Amino acid sequence: HDCNNTLTLPQDEDIMDIPLDDPAANKAAAKIQAGFRGHMTRKKMKDDKPRDEKQREQK
Amino acid sequence: MAPKKDAKKPEPPKKAEPAPAPAPAPAPEAPPKPAAVDLSGVKVDFNQDQLEDYREAFGLFDRVGDSKVAYNQIADIMRALGQNPTNKEVTKILGNPTADEMANKRVDFEGFLPMLQFVVNSPNKATYDDYVEGLRVFDKEGNGTVMGAELRIVLSTLGEKMNETEIDALMQGQEDENGCVNYEAFVKHIMSV
Repeated sequence: HDCNNTLTLPQDEDIMDIPLDDPAANKAAAKIQAGFRGHMTRKKMKDDKPRDEKQREQK
Repeated sequence: MAPKKDAKKPEPPKKAEPAPAPAPAPAPEAPPKPAAVDLSGVKVDFNQDQLEDYREAFGLFDRVGDSKVAYNQIADIMRALGQNPTNKEVTKILGNPTADEMANKRVDFEGFLPMLQFVVNSPNKATYDDYVEGLRVFDKEGNGTVMGAELRIVLSTLGEKMNETEIDALMQGQEDENGCVNYEAFVKHIMSV
């Protein structure tokens, strides 16, 4: 192979290694974001509604 | 409150079959689009306490007073009830609705329950470890922290991108004086509510 690979980027810290096109990374991110969104909705509901039934847990 | 309706979908609701039928049943009132998820095959299995809780939460979201909620509220009701569906999952469950349908199509409590059940049943629920390991990827120094700024960028560019308002709300109080987030503590906080 020709090692004249001008597409190889130096391992600098100027750009973070964000794997924008990596399906696995995106899937993992989506899962985390789903958890975050769930948390935020529940937190908002709790803050808006100081009643006791919010303490009942869902199975 | 919505009167308890016994009439569900026209198809026979429950068969004692261990294996799911290979051919998906057509969704009864669905538009010509093929249903991405067959809700008529979902057996709703909540107890009375749960149904009461769910009905109450559902009612909170009904701002029109017709005992229904809009498609675009479904994700939030599920989250309020302890689930963490991705937006993509909800879109599928709703049958890939158009933007107009999302805003204007409404569903009643009985219609909502199989949707909720579907999410409750779905495998691959994220665990504490999933979150921690997902965030650990960005722990460059291996010291249990990630840069808040980096996390913000990841959340806004990958997956189901979050906007600045969401991210600010999420990150509030999570970054230390160096802008670092202890992600194990962060995840515990996320999972506490």
